[in-house]
Amino acid sequence: MALNGAFSHLVVECADLEKSEAFYRDVIGLDVVGRNLVADNRPNSLLATNTRQRLLLVETGEVPPYPGSGGSIHHAWLLTIEQFKAARDRLEAAGFSSGIDPRQSFRAVGEYNMDIHDPDGNRFQIQAFGEEGTEILRSGAGTVMMGHMDDFAVGSVTHNRKGRFFLVREDEGFLAVSSWCTHKNGLTIWQKESWHFYCPFHGAKYDRKGCYVGHMGCQPMRLHPMQIDALGQVVVDTNRFFGRSGFEAAQAVPAEPGGKFDETGLTELPACDEKEVRERAKTGG
Amino acid sequence: MSGVESISHSGICVHDLKAAEDFYCKVLGATVHSRVNFKTQDALRGRSVHTSLMLDDYLFAVMLSEDWMDVPPPKVLRGENRVRHAFCVPRARFGAVVERLQANSIPFEGPVSHPEQGPFGESVYFRDPTGNFLEVLWRRDEDAVYNEVQPLGHGGGGA
Repeated sequence: MALNGAFSHLVVECADLEKSEAFYRDVIGLDVVGRNLVADNRPNSLLATNTRQRLLLVETGEVPPYPGSGGSIHHAWLLTIEQFKAARDRLEAAGFSSGIDPRQSFRAVGEYNMDIHDPDGNRFQIQAFGEEGTEILRSGAGTVMMGHMDDFAVGSVTHNRKGRFFLVREDEGFLAVSSWCTHKNGLTIWQKESWHFYCPFHGAKYDRKGCYVGHMGCQPMRLHPMQIDALGQVVVDTNRFFGRSGFEAAQAVPAEPGGKFDETGLTELPACDEKEVRERAKTGG
Repeated sequence: MSGVESISHSGICVHDLKAAEDFYCKVLGATVHSRVNFKTQDALRGRSVHTSLMLDDYLFAVMLSEDWMDVPPPKVLRGENRVRHAFCVPRARFGAVVERLQANSIPFEGPVSHPEQGPFGESVYFRDPTGNFLEVLWRRDEDAVYNEVQPLGHGGGGA
């Protein structure tokens, strides 16, 4: 049985209610609902997000250190980009070095994050997702020669890191699958152990044909047009992207000299230069 | 308006990932969202090994603790040990959730009634196998209209 409910609130112990309430109100940006509104004989303060979710601070006098977890315990505030910019200003005004994201290499493009600690040492993430996370990113690799078609066995998945795609050899022929996750521009990896493409950023999984497996409702991974030339060489055009609603055999380029990509039923998607978007993302958020 | 849209997730630590997964999934009805980075190469690159669980609309990244964590004595059912996560259910279903805890032999404290001037109604308090504290409650403001909680990765209005 699921609870069939929803997350209601996070209760956080604090040593000094005045100090913590001021931190969460003035630096994080929560609204104070009121004091002592719950059945707890310790002084407490309830603060609000814009959803039903609340933060309840309870004063315990002393918050003991919490060894053993290795620093992994954290909680994450989700902000809009506008709220994020305002929060960054507040953090900087309060003396936090908000620009530092120790785990930036694990963020998707357009995912902004600040890691801070509250007055009692609890670690919080402040997160926002910008439009850079959903733009189609062109690697700049242009036309990529992958080699002779006979070098790719049926069932093989070959990663072209520079071109940001996987060359997949199926029974039906070849697919050049863009390695960008369609959820939030993370770069997927091929996990041969489970025969899945996997995005380590938010956990999206796709089958070998690039179709999403799971319950986040992601679109299939996009396709690059490709062809087999007269000599049997596999040529992939990384400048163009096609969206699709699922896999159909006609999407595969026949493994024969002269084999061509069939755009029928596919939607070409406008793309941006990855380098330019990454540059924009450095100053965005 | 608050300057914060919502709380998107928490990373919690447990001593036994399997026991945690069984508890959250079998007793509370959570689903496994993903098992992250159990591959050696990922661990070597510094990614944390964890199971992501969705409990209702909330994501828990459940991680193995680096070392043994201090756990409050078993008889302490209502506490924080720094934090507690609380989930609300419709008032009409609150009794069924309490019965569910009883049927699964999960010790709990409560129900405890909250002051009428506040948004909370009644709560029960319990803990996961590691001692992370949890609460289920019904809320007096269950019919109030708030912004919807957006799914993981949503821009909260921007993306």
